[in-house]
This record gives sequence, structure tokens and C-alpha cells, in this order.
Amino acid sequence: MFGSDLLPIMKNAAVLIALFLVAASVPNVGASLDDARGRPQGTPLQEKACCAATEKPAAPKDACCAAKSAPKPAACCPATPAPAPKACCPAPAKTENPESETENYTKESLYQLEVTFTDDTGKTVALGDLRGRPVVLNMFFASCGYACPLTVTDLLAIQERLPAAQRAQTLFVLVSFDIARDTTEVLAKYRAQRALDGQWVLLRGPDDSVRELAALLGVKYKQEADGMFSHSNLVTILNREGEIVHQRQGLKGGLEEAAAALAAVK
Amino acid sequence: MSTTPAFRLGALALGLLAGVELCAAGIENRESKIENSAMVLIPAGVYVPLQRTAKDPAQVAVASFRLDAQPVTNAEFLAFVTAHPKWRRSQVSRLFADSSYLENWASDLEPGPKAPLNAPVVRVSWFAARAYARAAGKRLPTTAEWELAAGAGYTGLDGRNDEALNRDLYAWLARPVPAVLADVGTAKPNFHGARGLHGLVWEWVDDFNTAMVTGESRGDSGLERDLFCGSGSIGANDTGNYAAFMRQALRSSLKGNNTTTSLGFRCAADLPTR
Repeated sequence: MFGSDLLPIMKNAAVLIALFLVAASVPNVGASLDDARGRPQGTPLQEKACCAATEKPAAPKDACCAAKSAPKPAACCPATPAPAPKACCPAPAKTENPESETENYTKESLYQLEVTFTDDTGKTVALGDLRGRPVVLNMFFASCGYACPLTVTDLLAIQERLPAAQRAQTLFVLVSFDIARDTTEVLAKYRAQRALDGQWVLLRGPDDSVRELAALLGVKYKQEADGMFSHSNLVTILNREGEIVHQRQGLKGGLEEAAAALAAVK
Repeated sequence: MSTTPAFRLGALALGLLAGVELCAAGIENRESKIENSAMVLIPAGVYVPLQRTAKDPAQVAVASFRLDAQPVTNAEFLAFVTAHPKWRRSQVSRLFADSSYLENWASDLEPGPKAPLNAPVVRVSWFAARAYARAAGKRLPTTAEWELAAGAGYTGLDGRNDEALNRDLYAWLARPVPAVLADVGTAKPNFHGARGLHGLVWEWVDDFNTAMVTGESRGDSGLERDLFCGSGSIGANDTGNYAAFMRQALRSSLKGNNTTTSLGFRCAADLPTR
């Protein structure tokens, strides 16, 4: 009972996926799953909207903490901006903002996906924050013993070969599948171990963000009973608008093509 | 759009007592489709994955959860896209729904004759299904949850030897997709009181993108072996469960923005924590 429209999809099927099962076994340390699932509240954008609202006393509730009763402006926008978001908008779930800024993005821009991550310094990063730079995006996990290190080595080689001007522009973004173990500290350690410079962005996310980004990229992943992940090996190159200009599948070859695609990003 | 705790308890109690009847009532109430769709309780159980690697457990414990008693209908999805213009057919991004998204609807806000209000909504993407669930204060069921719920027969927890269920299931698999889908009420409820897990439409699960043919694939033969058909059966534990193979194959073939004539969804929710 597959609809006729399903057949071509099924034929393409799992063909493109290279799976890796990494054999190392690492004890389950780090943040509990619940901690890791905690959704970061408040992107920089929301913070701004929040504080802007206090200047316009007419509609502070709507702009800042919709549906919440009487938020105190003081709690909303403290003098020190850093830890504000939680106090500002204690909404229980990620607020999807269907009519928000997304129309600024192009039709093909991945940045339409309204998800946020945390980087290896603990800073909240919305996917859209990557806008304006050529991006090389790869999903990985820090305890991966085989495929991910190879891919990072390949990406370092690509970075090495970029002309200086372009190297200064291009971001290399690693997003972890391992929401439980890849804490900010683990990511920071990974950065140090692999000597990744300031052009590298290491992100961890709540489950929703990771799963939706993976679906958008076409990356399949599955945690095995031993805590390792099977996953597609897929390096994605985004232009400045966040549109996919190239995907490199698998682990072997494809470096020249990827570098060429990156070089072609204006 | 979020459900109140009081409603959740109410839905749970009613779901237990008379789940399916409440849904019918929900459909009548055009004001608030999402909140009114009834849920049934799926007791904790064990899901036996169809395929696993040597390192995977043979069984996966599934905590009890609530599951929509029926797939999401066109009427319910209409309420959602009315409230969330971003998910209307003419406005949705192609990244999140392919070009046949809601193609059987007459227009953005009119399901029309090919999509009866009480028939399951199809031609919806995973991203759209997820957005719907989020708006309803729910989520999509995981593969383990969905399979656990669908594993029940008409008369008992274990549907494997339920002849009537298997007859209906395979008869459905053999039939082409009808041009116009039947009302959700026409599907016979299973032991849990959930209708249409088999026999109406295929359904999205939250972790569809974990469905890949699994196995040690470091070797060069990896790509070849990972085609879902042949290699899939090697690691399978229940080769008689042809329908489960089909579901697995479907999941592993999908992308998050795909839509098809026979793929819908229903929502799940955790039990309220005490």
C-alpha cells in the first residue's frame, strides 16, 4: 500500500548512508539526560525583544513574557545582561515563533529552522547566528573513535588549503549528537585536543535541536546500547544565507569537491 | 494551545474509561480540535526491536505514556494551519515540507472533497507533524512507543497471534491507497482503544531518522550492505513480521520534509509526573 509517490523515495532509500559503529566503550559520565534536555531559553534576539519592551511600557507583557502574568521589568532586564533570559521568560517549552523573523531568510536557508545550541563556552547560539559566513557543518560526537576524528582531520585539511582571506571568513561547525555526554567542558576539551582555532564552532544542543537539524541535513543517527552512535557521515557546506551548496557523503574522497564548493561561495 | 493540567488529567481518565467516544465528541467541537482529541493510556511494556546490532539490547523497556486514540484528522490539522500560517500549503518552506504537502487539500484552509474532515491527514511532513504536536503540547511517539502500542491485538496485549488483526493488517497492506481516505472512526480500536494504528495510514515517529539498517559497517561493503532490504533481514529477530519490515523500510527511506499519500501521524505525551 505504498502510494505511487513513495516508490522513488524508497528506491533512493538508505543508499546514501554510510554507517559507523564505533567500538570504543566509554562510561556514561557527564550531565544527566534531563540536564542535557533542558532547553536554552532566550536567544540574544529574545533578550533584545525583552528589554526593548520595557522601553515601551504599553505592551511589556506581550513582548516579553506572553501569557505570563505581571513580569517585573526589573527581573526582565537586569542591569547586567548576561543571565537574563531565564528570569525573563519562564515559558515551559520552546516557544515556536511561526510568524517571526524567518521571512528574512531565503527559501532554501537552513536558518529558517528555529533551534538553538550551546557552544563550548556555554554561550547560546541560534542556528541563524551563523548567517553571513560560509559554513562547513558536520555532526559528530566527541567520544567517537573512528569516523568523526577522520572527518575533522579532513576539515582541517580543507581549512588549511583555503586562501587566507577566505579562511578568515569560513566557520567550521561541529554539532554533537551526544546530548548527554558532550557537555560544554567536553567540547572545550575536544577543541584543545584537536587544536581547533577560533573559526571552529563546537555546539551541543537539546534533543529537539539536534534531531531537527539532523533531519534537515539528511543525517541519520542512532545511539547504540553502549552509548556510541551510528551515524551518517555527511559534511554540508552552506553559503552565507545558510543554503546547502554541497554535501560530501562518506569518509573517502570528495575533499577536492568540497573545497571547490567552499571556494565558490562568494 | 497548551493543555492545562486539569485537561490532561481529564483526558487521561476519560481516555481510560471511554477514550474513543470522546474523540468523536472532539470532532464535533470545531473550536478546539487539538485539545479535544482523546488519548489512551499505553501501559509500560517491552519493545523488541526488529533489528539490532550485537551491542543493542534484545528488548527495550518503554515507560507508560499516552497516545492519541486516532490519527490526526484533516479537521484537526486545519485548526493547526489556521493558527499557524507558516504551515499553510502556500507558505511552508520546501525545506520543511516537499511540494506535495497537503496536495490533496482544495486550498490552504479548505481540505475539500479529497480530504474529508474526519479522515486522517496525510501528505504531511515530519517537521509539520512535529510542529503540530508541539503546538498541542504533545510530541510524536518514538518508534519503540509506536510499535509497543501497535503490537497489541484487538483482544489482547500481544497481537502477533491475533488472527483477525493480522488478516485486516495484511489485507490493508495489499490494497492500493484509496483516493479518498476513510474516516478515522471506521478503524477498529485495538486492545488499548487506539484506532487505526494499522489499516488507515502509515504514521510518522519522532525518531524516524534513527531507522537505518544497522550493523557493523566499517568495511568497504558498508554502503552495499546498508540497503534496507536484503541486509536488513540478516539481523532481524522476527522474520515473520513482514508489516514491521515495511514500516522499518519506510522510515529508513524518508526525509524529514517528505510527504506521501498514505503517511499521517498521531501524537503522544508523557504521563503527568507526580
